[in-house]
Amino acid sequence: MEVRELHLVSPHGRLLRRWGVTQYARTEGILAEPIGDLWAVFCPTSGETSLLNNESMAVLEVLEAGPADTAAICGALAEDSGESIETLEGLIEACWAQLIEMGLVRELRAPRTMLG
Amino acid sequence: MSSAPRSHQTLGDTDTLAFAKVLADAGFGIDVGAVSVHVRSDSKLFARQLQSVYAHFPLMDRAQWADVHLTINRASGFRRLIRPQVILQCDGRQPFEPFPANAPLPLFEWGCNWMIGQRLNDLLLLHAGAVERDGLALLLPAMPGSGKSTLTAALSLRGWRLLSDEFGAFNPDSGTFRALLKPVALKNQSIEVIRTFAPNAVFGPEFPNTRKGTVAHLAAEPDAVERRHESARPGAVVLPKWQAGSPTRWEPLTENVLFGALAFNAFNYSVLGATGFRSVVRLVRQCPGWQLVYSDLDDALATIDAAWPQVRERQLAAGQ
Repeated sequence: MEVRELHLVSPHGRLLRRWGVTQYARTEGILAEPIGDLWAVFCPTSGETSLLNNESMAVLEVLEAGPADTAAICGALAEDSGESIETLEGLIEACWAQLIEMGLVRELRAPRTMLG
Repeated sequence: MSSAPRSHQTLGDTDTLAFAKVLADAGFGIDVGAVSVHVRSDSKLFARQLQSVYAHFPLMDRAQWADVHLTINRASGFRRLIRPQVILQCDGRQPFEPFPANAPLPLFEWGCNWMIGQRLNDLLLLHAGAVERDGLALLLPAMPGSGKSTLTAALSLRGWRLLSDEFGAFNPDSGTFRALLKPVALKNQSIEVIRTFAPNAVFGPEFPNTRKGTVAHLAAEPDAVERRHESARPGAVVLPKWQAGSPTRWEPLTENVLFGALAFNAFNYSVLGATGFRSVVRLVRQCPGWQLVYSDLDDALATIDAAWPQVRERQLAAGQ
């Protein structure tokens, strides 16, 4: 049997951690301010400022607690917003490329050594 | 950073030949408010052109500190005889191609603005016209073809104090705007528009066939020169847009648009990093903003004047 992913689940069935899938980390020192119905976000490593919508900002807020993968972020946001995980998954998957390009998020390589 | 001027003799009071000698020997310092510029030149024509648009500026002591040092000299060799040119140098570098020998003033103005944009990183330099009334700055951020300089010039000739035609120079420490008082550079049909609008306005010579077409410089009013060390608190932002034949339209701006107009249109926003970001956020929070579409200059000014009491009340209330 080939193991591709390993899930750590709480006694209540909540997904706590997944190994073998891409995790994302928020760049340190980001400044974010609400500007109208968007967010102005300054990235200290690139010196660039971006305007983000609420969904992208929500992802950054979840990542403030530490690196996470899409499923974990969806779980956290679904709990808070009442949106379905499926809806959130689509929204969040669409965010990654841009957030990475803006330097606000970086991909963490899946720790394959944890796999069996 | 420049301090208050020491000399009361103005450039306009000085004999042109004597000034040309000063310019060629020790050079001349111009204190434009937030910076002072030292310039040397062997061009007598340049001396005359400087006098035409900096007439009210004091003739500064040569020992005084200058933030920017420039030389504008005539090209030597056969060049001086065939298609003579002037060359601008700053810190031993030549950042621009030479200009025709009869156009040292536009070369000086562009060179000066370029150097200020490169050097003055203790201020956030927004690309905007800036004028003052009631101690409050009105910013006119530049968009291509916006008519920023035309509107800035017109306001400066109708009781608003000119701070700058090119830079909204915001001091993040004090939260105020400083003057970078240089002549307003008007281009092409704007020159005639302002000549008609204010027949007594003082212009330097017209320079046809520059990279930007015909250019002429409008001298700052004496009061603006006298008060160039007075800063102004943020007041409001107006995004001007000149549109032929359009009725005047005055529409509030969303914060998103305002943020973009300031941050993404600044000379040194990214150089200042987090300080630039915080400064723009602060300005967006503090200043109401409007889009002004216009074709009639008098009507545009009347619209701004009509909105101004509301700005003043808001900023007074915020300051208390």
